Amino acid sequence: MERRKSIGEMSTAELADLLAQVRAGDSDAWGDLYGQYAPAIFRFCRRALPTREDAEDATTEIFMKVRQKLGMYDSSRPFTAWLYKVASNHCWDTLRRRRIRQDLETGDLETLPLEHPDPSQLEQLQIDHDSKHVRAGLAKLPDRARMALVLRYYSEMSYEEIADTLGVRRAFVGVLLLRARHQLRDVLAESGGGLQGAAAGGRS
Amino acid sequence: MSHFDEMTCLLYMEGQLDADHAEEVRSHAATCTECRGLLRALQTESVWLRESLEADDESVPARLVQAPEHGGAPWGWISALGLSAGGAYTVWSGFIEPWQAQAAQAGFTQGNLLTMLFFSGAFWKGWDAMRSLIELLAMGTLGLVVMWLLRRHLRRTTALAVVMGALALAVALPPSAGAAELKHGDPNYSLPAGEVIHTDLIVSAASTRIDGDVEGDLIIFSHSVTVNGHIKGDIIAFSQELRVNGPVDGNVRAMVQNLQLYGTIARNVLAWAGDVNLDQDAKVNGTLTTGSGHLEVNGKLVGDLLAFSGDVDINGQLGRNARIRGGNLTIGSRAEIAGQTTAQLRQPPDVSTGAKLGSPLDWTITKSGSETRYSSGRYYVHQILKWGASFLFGLVLLFLVPGFYFDAVKACAKTAPAIGFGVLFLFAIPIAAVIVCITVVGLGVGISAMMFWVITIYAAQVLVGGWLGEKILGEGAGVGAALGRLALGLAILRALGMLPYLGGWISFVVVIWGMGAVALAIYKNMRPQLAAAAAVV
Repeated sequence: MERRKSIGEMSTAELADLLAQVRAGDSDAWGDLYGQYAPAIFRFCRRALPTREDAEDATTEIFMKVRQKLGMYDSSRPFTAWLYKVASNHCWDTLRRRRIRQDLETGDLETLPLEHPDPSQLEQLQIDHDSKHVRAGLAKLPDRARMALVLRYYSEMSYEEIADTLGVRRAFVGVLLLRARHQLRDVLAESGGGLQGAAAGGRS
Repeated sequence: MSHFDEMTCLLYMEGQLDADHAEEVRSHAATCTECRGLLRALQTESVWLRESLEADDESVPARLVQAPEHGGAPWGWISALGLSAGGAYTVWSGFIEPWQAQAAQAGFTQGNLLTMLFFSGAFWKGWDAMRSLIELLAMGTLGLVVMWLLRRHLRRTTALAVVMGALALAVALPPSAGAAELKHGDPNYSLPAGEVIHTDLIVSAASTRIDGDVEGDLIIFSHSVTVNGHIKGDIIAFSQELRVNGPVDGNVRAMVQNLQLYGTIARNVLAWAGDVNLDQDAKVNGTLTTGSGHLEVNGKLVGDLLAFSGDVDINGQLGRNARIRGGNLTIGSRAEIAGQTTAQLRQPPDVSTGAKLGSPLDWTITKSGSETRYSSGRYYVHQILKWGASFLFGLVLLFLVPGFYFDAVKACAKTAPAIGFGVLFLFAIPIAAVIVCITVVGLGVGISAMMFWVITIYAAQVLVGGWLGEKILGEGAGVGAALGRLALGLAILRALGMLPYLGGWISFVVVIWGMGAVALAIYKNMRPQLAAAAAVV
């Protein structure tokens, strides 16, 4: 399953042409490329980083990196995948730089509950909480948990890509995702419907 | 058969199990309602997560509409670097070197003044040990940088082991070798006559009186200090008043409000003081260097005199040259100056006819800045080169700590908090540094804090300049764009700083503003850590 966000409606040939122009230093082409992809990258950053302000800063910084690293892009691979890779690495680096104690634990499987969760309770939780609740709940998760969920269920990254971005072993990605789901369930269950306000305003 | 755990179910659902294992789950789920229910719930949860994450409830902010620009042409870089290098050279050759030369002429031949002030053996015997500690820390830092670069390939445990190892090594280092006696006053301290301290003596007390002898250096942090005994090393004092009646075999280095010298000082006197008085019975065998409000030389000075003072009264004997920069100079009838006297003054000197001068007094009147400087081309060249120096500093900041640079530039936009914090830090850091120094153990910390403070004062204009450039040209992205904006902003700030009367105030506000921005940027970077720490607590 390699379903990226549909962030461009350009054909491959058009995109290749545009990228060539950007590499040649055409500032209009750069503006077009930015206009095409910046909204999607902002939305990604908005989900990966805790505040709107962080997401705005990160978007600009990511495109600065893209501008510098465009020469390193291998055109045989999808551009969107490369762009998300740059974006997710940047966001994760940003979070890592800030973090000191949070999330420093490595994969301790024993903290995972091994018993079956009650499927009906799980379904009820999903019925009770709309996307705003979930987004507000995500903002409350530890960085790595939030990042894992966003990379997997928003950017549709493979387990390998997630492992590479977050700097963990591939075998640990499943643990990370399951734990993140548990943490999100707990956050939502604890706060009930009280997240609505937070969801609208973000944490910024 | 027992049920599969949630982990296995998730991996199955996400297509992450190998074929055999997946088949096992599939066939089990076909017959097990409970596992089927869990798989369905997890599947629904995935859909719910995807839909929630996809829901687009926010517009793209206006500031992101414009594409970040890319860097300027190479010639821009070349000229900027050229100017920067020129600026650095000018700052060195125009300001630092002459100052050093002056100091050397006045008898400071033991390297540069900073080295002498802070690091000469007399100031702190433990410095040699400290230097090896710093070397070790530098190596450690280098190691950490390498580890950071290889972070993807290193397991955390390895990293932790290396850090712990380095710490253990640092702890195992022998303590600094300097032998010294440490005294805290309660609140006053007195060394009775007849008593001898055989090592260095370090005192921190409200009032200090030394009647006995000290064979090493005497280092004092005190409100008022009277030294009647014989000091065989140096006296280093930070105090309100310092009165030296007894003989000193070494130097006197003082940062005091009021310095009174009555005894014989075998070597040099360096004083940063409000008032300095060399009594008529006093004798200094070396040089006297002061930055003071009022200086009176009634005694005998064998070496050179270098004075930056508001008022200078000379009524004693000077064995060599005198260089004076200040407001007023009075040379009394009892004055004898063997060498040459050079003075830059604001008022014509008052020289008594009875004074004996080795050569005619060479004096010039310094006009108030605005009268002369604007007509001199050299002034403008200096301004351009100083601009180059600040630009070079900005360049270094941008390359070494780009994240911090951008954070701090952005923080300048928060004018009121930045200025508020700026005022606080401008005064709080030196005070805190002095307090830390008093504990002596924290001497290194205090000196580092002061150095950081000085660097921040210089960095302030760079950050405010960067912000001003962005304000005028709009936000850009990339190092090239940031440099262009920085160059423009710095040029404007320098031009504003050249304004008569207002210029000084503008520069002062810029220092406060930039300093506050540094504080805000540091706070911004520490905030998540503080929050995490608070959460743990």
